[in-house]
Amino acid sequence: MKKHLIPLGFLVLLIILPPFLTGYWLRILTGVIMFATMTEAINIIAGYAGYPAFGNVVFFGIGAYVTAILMNHGFGFYLTLIPSIVTAVLFSVIIGLPVLRLRGHYFAIASLGVNVATMEVVNNLKIAGAAEGLTLPLKKGASPHAVYTYFYFLFLIALVLSVLFTIWLERNRFGFGLRAIRVDEDGALAMGINTPYYKTLAWAYSAMFTALVGSIYAYWISYIDPETVFDPIISVKMFVMMLLGGASTVYGPIIGAVILELITELVWSKFVSIHGIVLGIIIILTVILIPKGFLDLFTGGFSWKRLVQNIKENMI
Amino acid sequence: MIIQILINGILLGGVYGLIGLGFSIVWGVTSLINLAHGSLVILGAYISFWIFQYAHIDPFVSIPLVMLSLFIIGYLMQRYIFNLAIKADVFLTLIMTFGMDVLLAQLMIVMWSADWRSIATSYQGKSLIFGGYLFPYTRLLGFVAALILTILTAYFLDRTKTGQSIKAVALDMMAARLMGVNPGKTYAITFGIGASLAGAAGSLLAVMQSFNPAVGGGITLRAFVVAILGGLGSVEGAFLGGIILGIIETFSAFYLGESFKNVVTFTLFVIILVTRPRGLLGKKYYG
Repeated sequence: MKKHLIPLGFLVLLIILPPFLTGYWLRILTGVIMFATMTEAINIIAGYAGYPAFGNVVFFGIGAYVTAILMNHGFGFYLTLIPSIVTAVLFSVIIGLPVLRLRGHYFAIASLGVNVATMEVVNNLKIAGAAEGLTLPLKKGASPHAVYTYFYFLFLIALVLSVLFTIWLERNRFGFGLRAIRVDEDGALAMGINTPYYKTLAWAYSAMFTALVGSIYAYWISYIDPETVFDPIISVKMFVMMLLGGASTVYGPIIGAVILELITELVWSKFVSIHGIVLGIIIILTVILIPKGFLDLFTGGFSWKRLVQNIKENMI
Repeated sequence: MIIQILINGILLGGVYGLIGLGFSIVWGVTSLINLAHGSLVILGAYISFWIFQYAHIDPFVSIPLVMLSLFIIGYLMQRYIFNLAIKADVFLTLIMTFGMDVLLAQLMIVMWSADWRSIATSYQGKSLIFGGYLFPYTRLLGFVAALILTILTAYFLDRTKTGQSIKAVALDMMAARLMGVNPGKTYAITFGIGASLAGAAGSLLAVMQSFNPAVGGGITLRAFVVAILGGLGSVEGAFLGGIILGIIETFSAFYLGESFKNVVTFTLFVIILVTRPRGLLGKKYYG
């Protein structure tokens, strides 16, 4: 319980903070929380189960589109959440059954293939507005700040749910099973773990949280198109955040999201035209210098030797 | 009509084969899935475009120059960046090459803007008519150039000392090291070759269709399809895979519409990965 005290303190801080923030910072913080939730979600399949779901953003897109389509047909926002999650979970199971049989490279790439194939299908789907995208009804509120605060809390609830889920996962038979699969899948199978079931379930949970975030995102931004909500770069950002904070930990994804989202946001506002260059350099440097995450780098005291050691381990 | 579509597909497929070839060799030898491959292809297209614009040299003539520049870029990229994390987990190296892709794409936007570009040669739009069928010059020349480069690559890997050392490293790195091969350098040369083939494919693509930095992603995925179809590291497999993809795309564009082309390609990609991950031709060529 002790290790959850500091995060709990932060949560209280996050709850009382909004009235004191400007619209700009509230928006940035909302973005951080959004990414933190999606990174928690990808952590279930990629961190705990060790299956690099390179196309996880597909569930984000599905969630966003289900909400957008239903709201355009007169449904209220909350009513769209269940259909959105159900669609994404069903999709993950149907796709997962064949695709999760692949390992390593092949799984990563197949999930990326699923992502772009889905994007192209949506690009041709009349009901989804095809390539032009969809606009959603605007959220009405007393003031812009009230609307910002509303979405801030929606994302915060999603984050809390995903964190609670991960804490449950950490000490649960299911979570141990996933870690066993990551370390040695054949061994896990031999120990009596139903690996296909575990993997499919893990991906379904991951899809559930990602779709939830997608739904909120669609309502928040109020305009979506295939190119934005199925953008593979979102998946990659989730991966980098997971790496920075430390994979298969409860709070790592949040730390990673804070670091990367703040850096990219600051760079974005200052140097719009070279945003991608800086992001690319950050990604490459992260993989080369801190493949085990920031937490690992600072446990037991930081030293430059550690960075050199990280490189030496993986270089040829 | 069907035969005309088939001809178009095969001619386009030659270039697809070339796109997949560099990607396949790099993947087969270094186990690096280079997600920046598409951006290297587009970089080749821009360099070709530059040479055409400022020196008025025909894109087919400037191919060696484009290949040389891409070889140098690729060699340095592997030697001083990718080699530093080559032994890391699969998804780490994937993210790393994706980072490179993001970087290159933005760099190209800064240098050449995001506008659509194309190289308008004097013979563009003209065709050779043979037996009642049309063979557009740009596509025909592209196919021939791709075929020649594929044969040269096969010859290089089979008959030269450097080619032999590349194969040796792919088969058994430890043994190759004991025989005096430097794996770091060999990886860099392999990636350089992959990049130069990508550059050549970019030159060929530039005369056939318009391009901008954003189309790199789609090209990378096509390289995947080709490499998987042909089997990793297989030179003749890549060429064959390219032609199969070319035919499938041309047919689906004709019968389902241009916008459904990508749906078919990427769905096919997932299906092949699930059902025949070792490629249509069977086993992995190296190792």
